[in-house]
Amino acid sequence: MQLEILNLTKLYDQKRGLQPTSFAVKKGELIAVVGHNGAGKSTLLKMLANWILPDSGQVTIDGIDLKNRTAVVKKVGFVPEVPNLFDFFSVEYNLKLFAFLFQTPFLRVDEILREFNLLAFRKNKIQELSKGLKQRVNIGRALLADPPVLLFDEPTSALDFEMTKEFYRLLHTIHEAGKTILFTSHRPEEIKSLATRIMVLHKGSLVFDGSPQEYFQSEVHENLYA
Amino acid sequence: MIRNILALAFNDLAVALKNKTIYLILFIPLFVFVSLKLLDRTDGDISKIRIGLLQHYAYAPQIVDSVKAAEKIIEVTWVQNEEEGTRLLQEKKIDGVLLGNEKEPGSLELLVLKKESLPTLAIVESFSALQKAAEGNRVSWISGIKTLHEGGIQRQTLPTWILMLVLLVGFIILPAQVAEEKEKKLLLALLQTPIREAQWLIAKVIMGMVLTMMAILFLHVLGRFTVVNPFDYIAFIMAGSFCFSAYGVFLGFLCRNQASARTIGVLFYLPHLLPSALSDFSQKLTVVAPLLPSYQFYEPLKAILLEDGRAANMSFELVYLFLVGSFTFYLSYLLMKRRWLM
Repeated sequence: MQLEILNLTKLYDQKRGLQPTSFAVKKGELIAVVGHNGAGKSTLLKMLANWILPDSGQVTIDGIDLKNRTAVVKKVGFVPEVPNLFDFFSVEYNLKLFAFLFQTPFLRVDEILREFNLLAFRKNKIQELSKGLKQRVNIGRALLADPPVLLFDEPTSALDFEMTKEFYRLLHTIHEAGKTILFTSHRPEEIKSLATRIMVLHKGSLVFDGSPQEYFQSEVHENLYA
Repeated sequence: MIRNILALAFNDLAVALKNKTIYLILFIPLFVFVSLKLLDRTDGDISKIRIGLLQHYAYAPQIVDSVKAAEKIIEVTWVQNEEEGTRLLQEKKIDGVLLGNEKEPGSLELLVLKKESLPTLAIVESFSALQKAAEGNRVSWISGIKTLHEGGIQRQTLPTWILMLVLLVGFIILPAQVAEEKEKKLLLALLQTPIREAQWLIAKVIMGMVLTMMAILFLHVLGRFTVVNPFDYIAFIMAGSFCFSAYGVFLGFLCRNQASARTIGVLFYLPHLLPSALSDFSQKLTVVAPLLPSYQFYEPLKAILLEDGRAANMSFELVYLFLVGSFTFYLSYLLMKRRWLM
């Protein structure tokens, strides 16, 4: 297993957060984590990205404990809901800064710019870019160190229909390249044909974990999204 | 329409309350009130001059008689020697010491902290009046003024300007920058790379120190201020900028956003600036101010710039600044490890 999660817990109060949750992820899976607002989706992903410290539980990625942050950061790339880039600087500067910190050759920046169709915008400041472009730069940054696991938190929440379609195409391409992906979504219908596995969180608890076919035939989907 | 304006105004007030701006409105008048209470010359002795006379010096009898007769306006402290007088002067327990003038035997020299100050003016005027009353228009008793602090008024204000710069970077610029990186999740993005928490903190403190030193260097270049003991001066500037940069980073960690950071910055900036800068005018503030790290930076700075002091005699202050800086650095490290308000 590439990712093993055991009794991972984070409670903000009695109602919000993530109840003890355990699951394992195989290499190359594309998992959609579905649930309503406040279900614990973002909390789960942020804990896997080391943004939030869990109350208890254990996570290992390729056998490395998540607590060993500096060792695990090259294993996981996280793309948050709102792009967190240095707005006043150019696309190229942002990517080169993080490449430098990852000790990745700057050649990789050129690869990312090419792969994500960002070459024309390399000198543009982040604040001049559209939401979709910012999201692309953010994804590119997450891929700089070529991590085997990628986490996307609500990647399409701020995107329009066309941009969402483009994002899913991008996600498909990244998945084809052999990456393991977990992403959160409000809209299970959209990821019907994309995900290889669906996990449903409801009020902080994992209430469903199975294939998309099983999910769309299950009562969980009926009860939560009907 | 009025309903909407009222609703918006209440909303703005709620935002001000939420980001703690409202605290400034309450804090500044309160702080000024407390500071004014701490200034000495608000009591009944407002017009009294505190003068030191040497026990073993043979002052002219008419001088001693005149001073004794003017007990309502002049309070005399008899000191053993010039050293004791200097010490009392530095502690603001007296306003001046009357010494024998070596250049003009028979006349007196006035030793004061600063030449251009209200106490000096008051002493000279009072003695001139006493002399006129006792002897008519003869040669003035005080024929010279010696100051503990060297240089003109511009140079004498230099330590205060430098303190302002150091505190400005530490308490206004750095907390806002740290809070901005937290607010925009940039810090978390940086923590997605293999950098260590301490590396980020050291970088921030270095940035604060560099900004402070650039500002001070610029001030020296513009004002053409020279320093007699540059190494001692640089040592204190480095210790002070380290202390307040680390302090500022810590304050930034206590805030979730930039608005809160600016407010908390001002809340720390004023209390650190004013008691140190105003301690020259107040014996009460001289008692309170040493509790602040800013005072432990300001006093040695003043001694180095105005009295040619040496850092070797100020090791307590150097260690104090270093310890405060190190302690706040460690607190920031703990908060960062816990992802505090991120």
